Amino acid sequence: MISPEIRIPRFDAYERVMHWMSALSFVYAALTGLAIWSPKLYWLAALSGGGFVIRGTHPWAGVIFTAVMGWMFARWAKTMGLDADDRVWLGKMEKYATHKHDELPESGRFNAGQKMLFWSQVLTALGLLGSGVVLWFPESAPRTLRLAAIALHPLAAIGSIAGIIVHVYMGVAAVPQSMRAMLRGYVVPEWARFHHAKWYREWRDANTLQKP
Amino acid sequence: MLVAKLIDTTLCIGCKACEVACQEWNDQEYTLGTFDGSYQTMADLAPNFWNLIKFNEIEKDGGTSWLMSKYQCMHCADAGCIAACPAPGAIVQLANGTVDFAHDNCIGCGYCITGCPFDIPRLSPKTKKVYKCSLCSDRTAVGLEPACIKTCPTNCLTFGERDEMLRVAEAKTVELRADGHKDAGIYNPAGVGGTNVIYVLKDAKAPESYGLPRDPTIPWTVQLWKGPMKWLGSFAFIGAVLGTFFHYVIYGPQDPELHGHKDEEAPHD
Repeated sequence: MISPEIRIPRFDAYERVMHWMSALSFVYAALTGLAIWSPKLYWLAALSGGGFVIRGTHPWAGVIFTAVMGWMFARWAKTMGLDADDRVWLGKMEKYATHKHDELPESGRFNAGQKMLFWSQVLTALGLLGSGVVLWFPESAPRTLRLAAIALHPLAAIGSIAGIIVHVYMGVAAVPQSMRAMLRGYVVPEWARFHHAKWYREWRDANTLQKP
Repeated sequence: MLVAKLIDTTLCIGCKACEVACQEWNDQEYTLGTFDGSYQTMADLAPNFWNLIKFNEIEKDGGTSWLMSKYQCMHCADAGCIAACPAPGAIVQLANGTVDFAHDNCIGCGYCITGCPFDIPRLSPKTKKVYKCSLCSDRTAVGLEPACIKTCPTNCLTFGERDEMLRVAEAKTVELRADGHKDAGIYNPAGVGGTNVIYVLKDAKAPESYGLPRDPTIPWTVQLWKGPMKWLGSFAFIGAVLGTFFHYVIYGPQDPELHGHKDEEAPHD
């Protein structure tokens, strides 16, 4: 048996702060963005001082979010590269969703789904940043660019928010103990072996916890 | 009843009295411009300058002549600014066709600037809100004509019931054609559902020479955003929420005890 008292460090304090900074700025930008996106959701603006206020604050939340995304990219981009196992995993994603873990290849520190979320968020963040800057200064950008941005910004946001809804579900409900990993930074060996077997073995081999 | 402002460009003498009347009635602060070799007052519209008589210079028969145009909000029936505006109640269309900005509701995003095919609204750096011609809605509401109409000394500008203005415009183009201006016509672009500011042009085949767009429309990206993309987004958001919820209901959380690799030996620590 694995002793449940053993704690494997999963996210250090930098990564936790980074993740939650991106999460908070994202939620703020998403709620204020939704208010501007549809008149039916305009009441969301009242949560943060009304339409005139969020027109000023939304872009800054976006700036913070993309800056943190840049930090995240610098820190995680290498780890997020897909290996051969990940490609097989992606082809069998429905096995993951239906809990047929025996039929899936083992994952490293992040599984292929997490990696895809990362890359999709990088892509949409670039789209949101580019179009967002154009929309921020309507009298400085050429009209053609602004017209493109009016469609691109919500399109990127839809992709981004839909991905984050699934991400939040995974973290809060679908994968027990993952929330603790991101809040307190550690996981237990059983969790690590089940979800990230390759990463678990790396940790095990690097530590003294060998087979007796 | 729709109203309209009729601009008969053939009668404009470039006196700019309408510009002054507009500034006076709307209590706009006068901003000193620069002389750049043109009789035009200002180079462009501004948040506090809603009506610019443009002296469009053209070379014709070996000489230079002017095509006057009154650069201002066209008060479109299908207004690009309204289509693009995300703030409920910030741009309203009155029963008489006037497109008016309600500044209490304006959030200053500037989407109207992008949505407008005539490039009219201007963002004020001071108030961070957007301004343009109101068709003197505060005057028309009490039965007065707009300030520019009131002051025009040549009858170049007239104001009244829209159908009547179209009849007057039509009669004028017939007259102009009889005088040899065979391309004379009315500028009332269909792409924006017609406008409540209507021009009589000597050469309606070349509205660009007056600085007027040939075929103004509501931009398709704005329509995409306000139309299909709303559906796409609702589908994605509601789908993601319901999809994950029912995933939990059907499959539940991942549990190493239930779903682990049964055939693999348990790790020893």
